[in-house]
Amino acid sequence: MTDPLGQQRPIDIKAQLQACRSKEDTFKTLVMLSKTQPRLTAEEKTEDNKIKGCESAVWLIIEEKDGLRHFKADSDAKLMRGVLVAILSLVKGKSLADIQQMDLKAELAELNLSSYLTSSRTNGVLAILDKITSH
Amino acid sequence: MVFDPTSLRPLFPILSQPAYDHPLVYLDNAATTQKPLWVLDAIQDYYRSFNANVHRGAHFLSDRATNRFEQARETVARFINAPLQSHVIWTKGATEAINTVAYGLEHLLEKGDEILITSLEHHANLVPWQQLAFRTGARLRVLPLTSKGEWEEEYARYFTDRTRIFAATQISNAIGTSTPLQVMLDLAKQQGAFTLVDGAQAVAHYPVDVQALDCDFYVFSGHKMYGPTGIGVLYGKNHALEVLMPYQTGGEMVRHVSHQATEFNVLPYRLEAGTPHIEGVIGLAAACDFLCTQDRLALLAWEQSLARHVYTRLHKAGGIELYSPEKNTTLVSLSVPNIHILDLNAYLDSQGVAVRAGSHCAHPLMAQLGVAGTLRASFACYNTMEEANRFCDVLLEAIDLLNEE
Repeated sequence: MTDPLGQQRPIDIKAQLQACRSKEDTFKTLVMLSKTQPRLTAEEKTEDNKIKGCESAVWLIIEEKDGLRHFKADSDAKLMRGVLVAILSLVKGKSLADIQQMDLKAELAELNLSSYLTSSRTNGVLAILDKITSH
Repeated sequence: MVFDPTSLRPLFPILSQPAYDHPLVYLDNAATTQKPLWVLDAIQDYYRSFNANVHRGAHFLSDRATNRFEQARETVARFINAPLQSHVIWTKGATEAINTVAYGLEHLLEKGDEILITSLEHHANLVPWQQLAFRTGARLRVLPLTSKGEWEEEYARYFTDRTRIFAATQISNAIGTSTPLQVMLDLAKQQGAFTLVDGAQAVAHYPVDVQALDCDFYVFSGHKMYGPTGIGVLYGKNHALEVLMPYQTGGEMVRHVSHQATEFNVLPYRLEAGTPHIEGVIGLAAACDFLCTQDRLALLAWEQSLARHVYTRLHKAGGIELYSPEKNTTLVSLSVPNIHILDLNAYLDSQGVAVRAGSHCAHPLMAQLGVAGTLRASFACYNTMEEANRFCDVLLEAIDLLNEE
């Protein structure tokens, strides 16, 4: 599977988000990140791949290779695509066991993304994390 | 003289705080309004000086609380021009008021009866009727809109001799369209149907006269009209309230109880089981008092001028789908082709502008308009023209930002 972010190490995404000094900065950075991720094809956007609980539509595909997890994701909202890029940069290429060891909420908070972690109905980031960390 | 909203700003201290590093621009008033000092002080005063349960203890505080509680009923009755204060039933909000009627009328419905609503309904004025239809075998019918959001011309045919209940919103929460209520209520009454008007979106803006409307039931929530959350009103004509079977039973609503039987209390208590939301009632009366000291038609004209200004600016800017009527509304509902409303919402929020993006609890209406949801800016009396312009500026900025690839 080709990794769209192969050229960009997680640290870069982290640094970019951490450098954000305002909500507006974070918004613009997420929009920029959203463009680094290839879109899913219509065939990949199945009901099965769809995450329930997001007001924007989110699709997440997990592929296991040699015991490591790889992800493909898409959303109809740009900002959510940016958030997905940030989340997946933390977990891609890791084993499920390693991912389950991580405190993803804390790591996302470090990226200035904690406002996307509320359990409000406007986003389903928690549902995305659930899928990433489940069998 | 043009109404000056800045004269009201000191009454709403919450509005003077910054949001992130920007001035807060609160345009989510159709979801809930902010509360004036009148309401905040009344609630505090209740707890500081006359907190006690009502209608029971015979002591100093209980008498004071009961008096103020029943005065509040009188205030609200006057506010909507109800003939008697016993026709005002306290509920949690419009939703509970509608459920009280839907459960209360169940014993009168038969298989094949029809319940008629409109396409504009909030889920609160749809789901209780749909479920009532499921329970009784009645048929839920819906007055349709055209794809342009206008009323179909031939809607009279939906009112039949099987129509037992007609329930309609006064104003759509999602797109601001008004219902031609008088005509529809007349058609419903000709068929002998019970009529219910959902005034949740109307009371903050329009002077309401339930006797002029001549509906059997009128419902609204306190928190959308500058009052507290958790309190609302079910107004009903005497005969209409009398036929309702209480859908909640317990204390307060009884006159005499034995293990064998219960004699229910008279109206309004028969429909108010349990200790009521006393602070909410006191706060709601204060909100009515606040509105009654204002020139309400001037407030309405101002709110409409803000919505019209935004509508006109965005219409001129182009590339924006506007779902609200151009005139006589207090909100603007829109979407932008190829841009997600949540993205627009996120940018507006980052600039301190609070609006609502979503389906506005009106999934069938959104489906009919062919959108997943809209972005809604809704105005209240304290909003300024600067705020209306700020919304337009930031929205247009967001569109530019999100359009570039």
